[in-house]
Amino acid sequence: MAICQFFLQGRCRFGDRCWNEHPGARGAGGGRQQPQQQSSGNNRRGWNTTSQRYSNVIQPSSFSKSTPWGGSRDQEKPSFGSFDSGASTNRKEGFGLSENPFASLSPDEQKDEKKLLEGIVKDMEVWESSGQWMFSVYSPVKKKPNISGFTDISPEELRLEYHNFLTSNNLQSYLNSVQHLINQWRNRVNELKSLNISSKVALKCLWKIYTHLSPKIYGPDCSKFIILINKLSDVKDGINQAAPAFGFGSSQAATFVSPGFPVNNSSSDNAQNFSFKTNSGFAAASSGSPAGFGSSPAFGAAASTSSAISTSAPAFGFGKPEVTSAASFSFKSPAASSFGSPGFSGLPTSLATGSVRAPVAPAFGGGSSVAGFGSPGSHSHTAFSKPSSDTFGNSSISTSLSASSSIFATDNVLFTPRDKLTVEELEQFQSKKFTLGKIPLKPPPLELLNI
Amino acid sequence: MSLFGTTSGFGTSGTSMFGSATTDNHNPMKDIEVTSSPDDSIGCLSFSPPTLPGNFLIAGSWANDVRCWEVQDSGQTIPKAQQMHTGPVLDVCWSDDGSKVFTASCDKTAKMWDLSSNQAIQIAQHDAPVKTIHWIKAPNYSCVMTGSWDKTLKFWDTRSSSPMMVLQLPERCYCADVIYPMAVVATAERGLIVYQLENQPSEFRRIESPLKHQHRCVAIFKDKQNKPTGFALGSIEGRVAIHYINPPNPAKDNFTFKCHRSNGTNTSAPQDIYAVNGIAFHPVHGTLATVGSDGRFSFWDKDARTKLKTSEQLDQPISACCFNHNGNIFAYASSYDWSKGHEFYNPQKKNYIFLRNAAEELKPRNKK
Repeated sequence: MAICQFFLQGRCRFGDRCWNEHPGARGAGGGRQQPQQQSSGNNRRGWNTTSQRYSNVIQPSSFSKSTPWGGSRDQEKPSFGSFDSGASTNRKEGFGLSENPFASLSPDEQKDEKKLLEGIVKDMEVWESSGQWMFSVYSPVKKKPNISGFTDISPEELRLEYHNFLTSNNLQSYLNSVQHLINQWRNRVNELKSLNISSKVALKCLWKIYTHLSPKIYGPDCSKFIILINKLSDVKDGINQAAPAFGFGSSQAATFVSPGFPVNNSSSDNAQNFSFKTNSGFAAASSGSPAGFGSSPAFGAAASTSSAISTSAPAFGFGKPEVTSAASFSFKSPAASSFGSPGFSGLPTSLATGSVRAPVAPAFGGGSSVAGFGSPGSHSHTAFSKPSSDTFGNSSISTSLSASSSIFATDNVLFTPRDKLTVEELEQFQSKKFTLGKIPLKPPPLELLNI
Repeated sequence: MSLFGTTSGFGTSGTSMFGSATTDNHNPMKDIEVTSSPDDSIGCLSFSPPTLPGNFLIAGSWANDVRCWEVQDSGQTIPKAQQMHTGPVLDVCWSDDGSKVFTASCDKTAKMWDLSSNQAIQIAQHDAPVKTIHWIKAPNYSCVMTGSWDKTLKFWDTRSSSPMMVLQLPERCYCADVIYPMAVVATAERGLIVYQLENQPSEFRRIESPLKHQHRCVAIFKDKQNKPTGFALGSIEGRVAIHYINPPNPAKDNFTFKCHRSNGTNTSAPQDIYAVNGIAFHPVHGTLATVGSDGRFSFWDKDARTKLKTSEQLDQPISACCFNHNGNIFAYASSYDWSKGHEFYNPQKKNYIFLRNAAEELKPRNKK
C-alpha cells in the first residue's frame, strides 16, 4: 500500500477512511521499524501537526519521542502529587525543546499546571511567613526534582562556618555571606511568588518534565537537568540565580574553598559509584571489577583522576555576584560564569572563576548522572544504563535509553546535530552568553558541550 | 523518683508558658535534669545497648566534648567520663557489646572510645566533617559506618586506618540510621538512599524524597517480626514522612504528617513551622517520638496514624533525643540548634538534657 503523503504532512483529509497507508497510526504494533523513517519525515514537515493519534501509541521508539512537547497529549491524566510509577512509563520522553512551550494544553493539563503554579506560590508564601529554615531546597511536588535557585545548607554547616569565622576573627565575612544568602533566597522566593512570564515558562517546562519523566529519577541527579529548563527562562530576568549549579554538588565548585569545606575533588559523580555489581562508566576510574569488601577504595577515591568534572561542591561556594545568570548558562567557557564566592572563603572572590569547568548546565554534559541523559559517547554512563535494576528502578528512561538508544539516534531530541542549527543559533551556542531574544529553542549540539 | 517499672506517670506541667518573665521555663515537663550537662549545644544522644547492665548515656556537644553519665534507676545521673575532639561532635554511637563508644566530629575524624580504659583513638578520616556514625554488626563482619559532608560513606574496620569500603553519595550526608541489614542515608538536595548490609554494604535503592524540603533526620522502624521495614524521615518544614521499603500498597501505606507547627487549628493566621531535629522509635512499642526546633517533643503512633502526646514548649529548641534500650527512658536535649541563625545564639544559656519515663506514654493506641 502506498504511504499517504498527505498524512505525512499531517493533513490527510480522509483520516481513517484513507486508502493509503498512514504509518504508525495503526496502533502499537504498527511496526517500529517503519515509522523511524517516516517520523523524521514528519518532523521536518511540521511539529504542530503531528497527529494526535501518535500519542496514543505507546512505543519507546523514537517515533513517540518526536512528538513535540507542546503538542503531545497525555492520555492518562497524571495525578498531581502522586505518581504511579508503573503506568506512565515510556511516554513522551521527547523533549522537543524546539516546541513552543506555550502551546495550548488540554483543559485537564491546564488545570493541573495551574494547580502546580498555585501550589508553588502558596508554598513560597508559607515559607516566608512561617519562619522556617531558609536554606533548603524545595520541590513543588514530592518525589519530584528540586526547583533551581535554592541552596541546601544545614544548620550545622552554617553554625560550623560561624565558629570557624569566629576563631579566625573574621566574623564580618560570615555575616556578609549570610546576608547574601538571605538575599538570594528572598529574591528567589519573590520570583516564584510573582510568577512572572519567564518563571511561568520555566515552570511550565518543569511541569512537562514532571509529568513525562519517570519518577524514579531523584533529587540531586534530576535537579541538574532541571537547571537547564529553568535557565532557559530565567535568562531574561538576570536574576541572581542562587547558584543552582552549586546546589547539585556540581562541577563548578572546584574552586570554592571555604574553610569548613575542603574541596573534595576525589568524589566522582554520583550515580556511578554505588553499585558493586556493575562497571561504572568511568572506565578509567574504577578497576571495573566490583570493589571487594576489604579492598581499598571502591569507587570514590579512585575516580578522582578520571572525573573530568571536578564535582565537589562545598556548601558555601556559590553566590553569584549580581551579574549575570545568563552567563552561567553558557556551554562554553567556564570563565564566563562568575561564581564568586561571596566572602565565605577567606579567599578573594574573584578567584572562584576561571577554573570552573564547563558543565554549568550539567544537565547535558555534566557527568552522567543527570537524569539519565548522559551525553552519548561521553565517558559516563548514567545509572540508567546499568543493568542493575533496583538502583534506579525500572525507569522508563532507562529502558528507552539503553534499550532502544533511539534517543541518541534521533539526536534532535536532546542534542541538535550541528548541521540542523541555523547560523544564528550556532552563534548563540558558541558565545559566552545568550542574547535575549535570540535564544535558540533547540537543544545545543553535542559537540559544543564542554565536558 | 523511680524512672522504671512503675506505672505512675509524670503528668504534664501545669505552668503557663506564655510571657511570664519570672517562671523559668526551661523544664516545663518537670523531667529529670541530667547533672553536669554540656556547655554548648548538644548535637547527639545515645543510650547504651542491652548488653551493658544499667543505663549509660552519651552526649556529644558543640563544646567539642563527649560526656558519659550513668543513669540509675532512681533517676540519679552520675557523670562518669569525658573525651574531647578538636571540633564539635556531631554524632555518637555505641558498639553492640557496650564497651566502646564511637564519636564523629567536625574535625573530620571519628574516634573510638574505650570506656574501660578511658582511651580514645582515631579510627576514621574524612575530607569534611563527619556527620553520622553507626556501628554495624553483621554475622560475617563488623564495622563502623561514617557519613560525611564530603559526600562519602565510609566503612571502617577499627583496626585499620584505611576504610574497608567507600561509597559515594550524591550529596553531603545529613543523617543516617542503621538497623541490620538495612541502612538509610538522607543527603542534601533531598537525596535518599537505602543500603542493604548483608555480606557487604551495597546500595539497595534510591528513593525519591517524599518531602519537599531539606532532610534533617531519619530513623528506621521495624515490623512485628523485628525486622527493619521502613523509615521515618523528618525535614526542616515541620513534616515527617513514613516510608515503607516494600509496602503492599505504597500509595496508601506511605504517608506524611505535619508536626512541630504552631497554630494547629487556626488556619487564618500564618503558621510557624519548625524543623524536626530528631526522630526516635520506641524499641518495644514501635511508636515514635519527634523533637523539634519549637522546643517541644511529640509522641506518635504511626500505625494508628495518631498523635499520642505533645509536650509543653521549652524555652529552647530540642536538638536531640533517644530512647534507652528497653524504652523506659526518653532523653531529650534542650539547646540551641541554630534554627534562627547566629543572632539567637546565646553562649551563656544553659543547655539541658532531660530524662523522662517513657514506659506508659508511648503505648500504641489500642485497636481492640
